[in-house]
Amino acid sequence: MIHSKTHDPNITVIGPGAERLTAMNAKVFKDEVTDLINGGATQLIVDFKDVSFLDSSGLGALVGVLKKIGHRGELSVSGLSNDVKQMFRICRMDRVFKVYDDVDSAVQSMAESQ
Amino acid sequence: MITSRHQVQNTLEQVDQLVKFLAARIRVALGPDTAFRFELCLSEALTNIVKHAKPNDRKGLIDVITTDRDDTVLVEIFDPVGTEAFDPRNHATDLENVDSLAEKGRGLGLIMQCADVVDYGRSGDRNRLALQFAKAVVTQAGEEE
Repeated sequence: MIHSKTHDPNITVIGPGAERLTAMNAKVFKDEVTDLINGGATQLIVDFKDVSFLDSSGLGALVGVLKKIGHRGELSVSGLSNDVKQMFRICRMDRVFKVYDDVDSAVQSMAESQ
Repeated sequence: MITSRHQVQNTLEQVDQLVKFLAARIRVALGPDTAFRFELCLSEALTNIVKHAKPNDRKGLIDVITTDRDDTVLVEIFDPVGTEAFDPRNHATDLENVDSLAEKGRGLGLIMQCADVVDYGRSGDRNRLALQFAKAVVTQAGEEE
């Protein structure tokens, strides 16, 4: 489901690979990102540019990924549509995740902080 | 007033398809911001039914009726027959009080926060959740109020 691309220095950009991240596919998303983390990826950006809708199950999966990384690394998000941005705001997730307008800004910021 | 009736089986695949279909149909009538709240509430409510109402009966049927009125859109959701009553108004956690690192527990709070009116009760042999959304008033500048 997910697709990922590694940028130098060791920043992994993940696309959820679905237009809607909901209860139907949230567990698969979390499991596949967890596999990347278990494989050594710790600087992650989830790019939502192709995701039009996110419900509480999808958001819960994203929080689960954040907890999986813990203090070992960093998780940012980018490319939120208006609806996804509204979901983040309602659930106060804009206080939890670093949010970037696009993936390039997220990669640049993460690279500079390393 | 336009009423449409839909019936799906008690599976995540079917309810997700229905949510996507109804949200696309209602988007123009509600405006984008309210349409998002409509889609989110419908997704949360139907997901709750599939996960918790009768998880061992995937052939159970869920009915959804939408009524498009002049000023509001009403969506009525009927659990599969034989489901125990579960009034979200009595179980929802205010989103302000949900642990920011919790992976679950936001669904009912989202429904309570995002629907303009929430009603729940028996209708014949079914449980009925009714969610109402006021249509956005668009200003001359094209903004929703």
